[in-house]
Amino acid sequence: MNNTALWYTTRGAGAVSLVLLSAVVVLGVLSTLRFESTSWPRFLTTGLHRNIALTAVVFLALHIVTAVVDPFTHLGWLAAVVPFSSYYRTFWLGLGTIAFELLLAITATSLVRGLIGHAAWRAIHWLAYASWPVAVIHGFGTGTDTWSGWMLVIDLFCILAVSLAVGTRLLVQSPDPLADDRARFRERVSRKVTK
Amino acid sequence: MTNLSLFAGRPPSAGAESFADHARRLGARPAGNRALIDTLDRSGLVGRGGASFPVGIKWKSVLSRSRGAAVVIANGAEGEPLSRKDQTLMALRPHLVIDGALLAAEAVRANRILLYVGEAHRAAVAAMARALAERPAADARRLILLPAPASYVAGEATAAVNFVNTGVATPTATPPRPSERGVDGRPTLVQNVESLAHAALIARNGDGWFRSLGRHEAAGTVLLTVSGAVVKPGVIEVPCGCTVDEVLELAGGVRGTARAVLLGGYFGGWISARQAGTMLLDPKGLPAAGGSLGCGIVSVLDDTADPLEVSARIMQHLANESAAQCGPCFFGLRSLSAATTRLAGRQPDHGDLPQLHRWAAMVKGRGACRHPDGAVSFLQSALSVFESEFAAAAGARGRKAS
Repeated sequence: MNNTALWYTTRGAGAVSLVLLSAVVVLGVLSTLRFESTSWPRFLTTGLHRNIALTAVVFLALHIVTAVVDPFTHLGWLAAVVPFSSYYRTFWLGLGTIAFELLLAITATSLVRGLIGHAAWRAIHWLAYASWPVAVIHGFGTGTDTWSGWMLVIDLFCILAVSLAVGTRLLVQSPDPLADDRARFRERVSRKVTK
Repeated sequence: MTNLSLFAGRPPSAGAESFADHARRLGARPAGNRALIDTLDRSGLVGRGGASFPVGIKWKSVLSRSRGAAVVIANGAEGEPLSRKDQTLMALRPHLVIDGALLAAEAVRANRILLYVGEAHRAAVAAMARALAERPAADARRLILLPAPASYVAGEATAAVNFVNTGVATPTATPPRPSERGVDGRPTLVQNVESLAHAALIARNGDGWFRSLGRHEAAGTVLLTVSGAVVKPGVIEVPCGCTVDEVLELAGGVRGTARAVLLGGYFGGWISARQAGTMLLDPKGLPAAGGSLGCGIVSVLDDTADPLEVSARIMQHLANESAAQCGPCFFGLRSLSAATTRLAGRQPDHGDLPQLHRWAAMVKGRGACRHPDGAVSFLQSALSVFESEFAAAAGARGRKAS
């Protein structure tokens, strides 16, 4: 494979990762909103969230590996692991490293959720809200195609979709269909206060 | 009632054994320590609350985290509607249970003991309260009697811990398990009262004695609640490893003709009467034979009862007892119970029977606790043992049958 192919792969995989990760964030938010319709059952949201997230990890791996092995960049493996250790665009590349490592933590804890417990998993899953914006800024800062029209459209579309989802999440109380039944049951099994 | 070990001594009509009688009959309680845990390990004693988990292993895991600040919960919530054995044991031999709780606390180095007793079990609560008053002050100081709410899941280990912590007996997700982080965040041993009573006798008589009580390589004795179509329903103590037929004989025999036996309770399963008779009641061996001893329920269904109606009633109960914390449990059990009820009324909707099979598989493993799993395995046993009845009911002209 020649150097040009590696470089194009890095850029392409980066753009694809952005789209996939944005979709993952939107689906994650939709699942907390318990979004559903007759043609979109709830398990579809969580199923897609999981599978697209795993696909995104693959594209990110491709994005990172091709960038590192490209002899033209001389990035080295250290830059892929240690944030802000790259001689080249130290800051912007460092953001990418951070975003990826946050994502690895989120993915790894999701795969062993049964072992670490729901509370720990959830705490780490909140890092998604840090990982995604850092990744977007990384793309803006160092992307070769940042100012091409097509990339701008992709960026704009992703940012809009995520903002819309997160905005809805902030404004709309997530409806809990079990709230009443749970309250009734908890009342039944609660310690009676003796008079 | 057979009086092998737990119920040895005066007959049940004499009521609760006093502390003086208890001490005279059995001698002083030995100390609980690490050696006792090894003895329990060798004895083969497994938990009698339903899960049949080895007692020695459980105590060891609490001890390893204890640092002298563990908590022991003696679990006598007994929320299983068919079970009477825990309340009977507490009502007749409260000091065996208290001995076991004290031994457990010493062995796992706990400084707090809670006697968690189902509030609906009046005789048991009264006997335990009286027994506490009879104890020397040094013992009584370490023990607190805590009435448990009357509900099916209140006796689940995480629900018991949650009740002590927050005053609400709903199960919580694991991990962390109670043995890791329980009451006030401390390692907590939640142990069924019958298991504790066995431990109190094993501490005195040794592991060899306990093993010798069982038959066919099973260890010890077990308390059973026999109900349904038998002449003398009630609580009996039998050697582990005896057959279902022997148990039914002790209960005065079957009234009429047995169609099936419910083993293990609402979380157990139906076994056809033909198969059940020769099955060995051994908590370790039963799962391999397709049964489960659960919390010691043996309930006989005769051939005049409608197995679908009885199964539907049990499903309704289990659906109502969902704590409404997890969607698959709450909605799943409600749908399963509704479909079972329609089939039992011989007015099924189109596709109810295949739906039951499909939904049952979808609900398993999807709750914070094992409540949905238990309900589903019960339903699946009904679907298999009463296959022909279910098929006939599904063929009945339904409201929306095509």
